[in-house]
Formats: sequence, structure tokens, C-alpha cells
Amino acid sequence: MIPLLLVLALAPPPPQSADSAVAAGTARPVIDIAVERRLAASLGLQVGDTVRIGSAPDSLSTVARVAAVYEPPADPATVLRRDYRVRLHLPDLAALLGTPDRVDRLGLVLQPGVAADSVVRRLNAAAFGYRAYGSREIASGSSQTFRVISRFHRAIAVISVAASAIFLLCIMLLKVEERRLDAAVLRFIGIRRRTIFLALLLEAVIVAVVGSMAGALFAFVASAATNAYYQHFFETRLIFSMVTPGIVRFGVGLSLLLGIGAGALAAARLVRTRPLVLWGRG
Amino acid sequence: MDLRWSFRNLRRHPLRTVLSIAGIAVASAMLCDMIMLSGGLETSFARLMLLRGYQIRVTPQGTLPLDSEATMPGITMLARAIAADPDVVAVAPVVATSLYGSPTPHSALLTLFGYGIDPANQGLYQLESGADLLPGDSLGVLLGAPAARLMGAAVGDTIALVSQLDPQVAGAAAERRLVVRGMVRWLYDHEGQPSVGTIVPVMQALGGIRQADRASVLMVKARDGADVPAVVARLRGAHPGVEVSGVDDLVRHFRERMVYFRQLALILGTLSLGIATLLIGTLLAITVNERLPEIATLRALGVSRRSVIRDVLIEGAALTMAGGVIGVVLGLGTARVLDRILTSFPGLPAAFSFFVPRPGALAAGLAATLTAGVLAGLYPAWLAARAPIAATLRAEAT
Repeated sequence: MIPLLLVLALAPPPPQSADSAVAAGTARPVIDIAVERRLAASLGLQVGDTVRIGSAPDSLSTVARVAAVYEPPADPATVLRRDYRVRLHLPDLAALLGTPDRVDRLGLVLQPGVAADSVVRRLNAAAFGYRAYGSREIASGSSQTFRVISRFHRAIAVISVAASAIFLLCIMLLKVEERRLDAAVLRFIGIRRRTIFLALLLEAVIVAVVGSMAGALFAFVASAATNAYYQHFFETRLIFSMVTPGIVRFGVGLSLLLGIGAGALAAARLVRTRPLVLWGRG
Repeated sequence: MDLRWSFRNLRRHPLRTVLSIAGIAVASAMLCDMIMLSGGLETSFARLMLLRGYQIRVTPQGTLPLDSEATMPGITMLARAIAADPDVVAVAPVVATSLYGSPTPHSALLTLFGYGIDPANQGLYQLESGADLLPGDSLGVLLGAPAARLMGAAVGDTIALVSQLDPQVAGAAAERRLVVRGMVRWLYDHEGQPSVGTIVPVMQALGGIRQADRASVLMVKARDGADVPAVVARLRGAHPGVEVSGVDDLVRHFRERMVYFRQLALILGTLSLGIATLLIGTLLAITVNERLPEIATLRALGVSRRSVIRDVLIEGAALTMAGGVIGVVLGLGTARVLDRILTSFPGLPAAFSFFVPRPGALAAGLAATLTAGVLAGLYPAWLAARAPIAATLRAEAT
């Protein structure tokens, strides 16, 4: 129950301690709160400190004691907002907001074996002022943002793959073309076209294998750097980049396919050309 | 040697040239997209904020407009105080709350989003059909197209709006039967958001915040030519209990929230530029290596080093220019696809764009690609110019 705004302010040094004021019956009771680590660090709060809190800047009348500093679970839905959070006991928050006996949502645990969908249907049939959702429906709704991000990343990946593929084709073509003179000499001394083709192809395979392995290694390093940077930037343990075996298989497979394919094409073109032309005298 | 020499070299290896141009085009398209993404977010957001000419937003302390359920009390007095500023020409209060609607007395309740507005000063909607609300019209309601579709309501129909439902007594604390006066387009709504609008007091009553005279936002319009940052500073000083933000402040907050996209744009843009540079550099280095005998012959005939360098650089620039121009066109096309994907973000105003083509930025992108192409040609050009004439010709002769 935390959607409403809470404005939090550090309490000025009180003339008498909050506890003694409460004991004397001159102040409202001090409530216990748990403060998120980032907020505690930002305000220099420690367990035992007192703060004044309220739902508006002009109503900071409730005195609260920091009972705990906690690390919230990593949540991708809120990582970009970077809001600070404070946890209160439900009755304390309800009293603070002036909304006793109201909550934003209730979580239900069903008896073992009971189908969630049927309970959701039954509750919604009788619902007035609330709506019941199954966990799967909520997960689907709240993951919409990530589905969009994921589609965007896929689209960017398509462009990157296209650029890399063309780059790879170009490099392999040039790499083989660079061997024109060598190919000419080999042909002059009687080496068969097939042997030259296989030699050039082997060279392309080695370049493609070494290149794709280096690429995979670079991906792991880049992924680790990305995670380190964003985890530090957003102060979270969320994983931003993950190199999965599937991604490695796709990347290495595509590189090998394109590299070897381009190498084979270029080698075939080269061995079909007359040696004198390769030598530049044709 | 002249420019034709460079172009003849490019024509000599058509497959190589076409592949290089294609590679540069894709890299350049990516660069253009990332340039559009990095600045587009802010441009689009600022445009959206200024759609109706309101340059300042007043919100509850510590919040952004409609970013939380927080409201400000004593809104009539606050609006009056702000309107007294000599540079302020209009103050538009906005109450935002969630409520329920019912097209007929016994039909099921539908979840709606409600805006309370002052019809005389509003910056939230454009009238599409029917009539606008009149100040003090406590019996009228405006519907956006999604709400009208959901409720099956048209201009002239009567609908019921209810709120503060109590499940224990199965009743609503607030209910109003209102006549649909007009259909509007809500400027800040996301795709399919079912919004309705009434005058401020009606929505305050529905939201249960009438007594404290609360509102979610005040939109403030400064007179033409006014120094808006100065007005913002003045209002901040006069009203420390609320958050006063100019469009620049809101854009700054938005930029912080969208930092991921800006950084992604920077990283991918840099990578694209790097790939284009690498491609051009590799291509020219190998081409120069292949043509060393030819270059040595030309040098032996008296062609200056300067001319050799110039021609290699021109070759790189020609490749980059061709790829860059194609890349800009390709980038504009892919930006539309990428924009369609990102604007499907839940909760994002439908009028918002991530990729905004700005001629200046695109020209800067093209210039950056061209510069990268010329820089990539420097090393191959240096190799060409430093080629040992005698040794190369002797090797060529044997």
C-alpha cells in the first residue's frame, strides 16, 4: 500500500527526546519505519534516527524512528524512476493518509488444488469496487514495458546484424582478393585450382573461427562491462545484459556461415581467373 | 591525376564498392537513428508540453505532473495568487482521478480516468465534435474516443459517473449523472486511455477532494515574450509549498528518466561510426596495397605525394558520401519502424515520438560519417604517399 506520495523530512534536534515526549503524553506516538538503503545513504540516516513524515510538506507531523534500513528487491519496473521508498506498518500508513481501513490491493493465497482462474471469475462476478486478477494476468500486464523494450532491442539487433554481415562479407572478400599474386604464383608452378581453392577456404575458415571466438569473448566482456556500469548507475543488482548460449550459438553460427560463405565465393572467383590476369599481365 | 582517378578505382571493383557502400549505409542509418533517438525524446517531450502554450506546471511538492496521486489543497486561492503575477495570463487547474462509468443505470461499471478542468482555461484537450463545456456547467461531461467507445455513448447521451466505491456496503460515495456535451482528443493520454472530463468542482466531488479544494496540477501560461525562467523562479519563491516547473525543468526530469535510451543511442551511434571507419580504413588500405605499383609509377612520372594523398582521401570520402546519403534515407525509414515499437510503451502519451528527424541533427550525422570516412583514409593515404618508388617498380618489373 504505497502508491500515495509521502514527503519525508529529517527531524530537527528535538528539545526533548521523542520517546520522553510520548511518555509524558505530549506528543503523538513515534512510529517505526524501514528506510530503503539508497534513501538512508542520501539523507545520512541510520537505524535509531528520528524523522518527521507526512503526506504533504505542510503536514510533517508524524515522528518516525528508523527501525531498519533495507535493500529493496531489484525491480526492473521501477529502476528508471529511481524513487525513494519507505516502509510503514499498514495501520501507521493508513492513519498518516487519513484513510483508515482502506488498501490498494490484497494478495490472496488459495487452498492447495484450487484453480486461480475459477476464484478470479467468482470474485469478479460478485465484485463491487474491486477487481480480481490472477497472478499470470498481472505478470502479463506489468511485463508489457519489457516486451516493448525487447522488441526494440530485437529491431536494433537486426540492423546491427545486417551491418556486421556486410562488414564481414567485405572483409572476407578483400582478404581473399589480397591473395591474388600468391594465387597466380601457385597456379604458375602447377598447383591445382582445387588445392588453391581449398587453401583459401581453409584460411577463410580459420579467420572466421578465430574472429567469431574473439567476438564471443568480446561479447562476454562487453556484457560484463554493461552490467557493471548500469548496476552502479542505477544502484541495483538487476542484470542488464546477458550473453546466453543461444546468443553465442547464433552469433558464432552466423559469423561462420557468412565468413566461410564469403571466403568460398571470393576463392571460387579467384581460382576461375586466369593466372596472368591475377599477376596483372592479362 | 584528378578526381576521375579515384572514381575509376571505385568502378574497377564493383562488388567491393557496392558492399562497402552498403556497409557504410547501414552503419550510417544506425547513426542517424541514434541521433534522432538521443535528441528526439527531449524535442518531442518539450513539444508535447507546449502543445497548448502552457509553459509552467505547478504540482505537489516533490512530484511531476500526474506522476502520483498526490494533490494540492486550496487550489482556488493558489490559482488566484499565481494569476496575480504580472507575467501570467492564464492558470488552468487540473484534477485527475480514477472513477467508474455506467452508460445505463444497471449496466456494469467501467473503469475510467477523470479530468477536472476549467473550460475557460484548459490545456488538456482539443474539441473534436459537439460542444465544449461552459464554465459552471456541472451537468456536462466530455468524452475521449476510447471512453465513448467503451461506454457506447454519443453527444447528447446521459451517463453516470461514480467513485469511491465501498465493497462492504456495495455502494458508491459519489455519483453524478451527466450529459455528454462533446467529444474531445485528450492531448496527454496514452493509446486507448478511456478519459472523461468535467468541470473542476464535479471531479473534485467525484474524487472526494472537494472539501479541501484539491487539484493535481496547475498549468500556467505566461504572456508572450515573458522571461519564463524568471516567472518560474518568482513563483517558486512565492509558493514554496508546491513544485513549480518550467518546460526546461520537466525536460530535465524526463531526460533523467530516459537516460537508458540516451546512453544506448550514444553507445550504438559510436559503434556505428566505428564500424564505418573500420570498413573504409580496411578497404582503402587493401586497395592502396593492391595499387602500389600503379602509385609508384605515377610518382615516378612526377605526380606529387600530395596528389596521391588527396586522391586516396577523395576515394574514401566518395564511398562515405554515397553510403552516408543512402544511410540517411534508410535511417528515416527504420526510425519509423523503431518509433512504432517504442511508442507502444504502456502509459506513454499517444502524441509522443522517440525518433524526431531534425535536419540539423541529420546533417551533423552525415558530417560525422564523412569526417570518419576521411579520417579512415588518412593511414592508407600515408602508406600510398610513402611507397618506395624504385623498390616497388623493381619488384613489379621482376
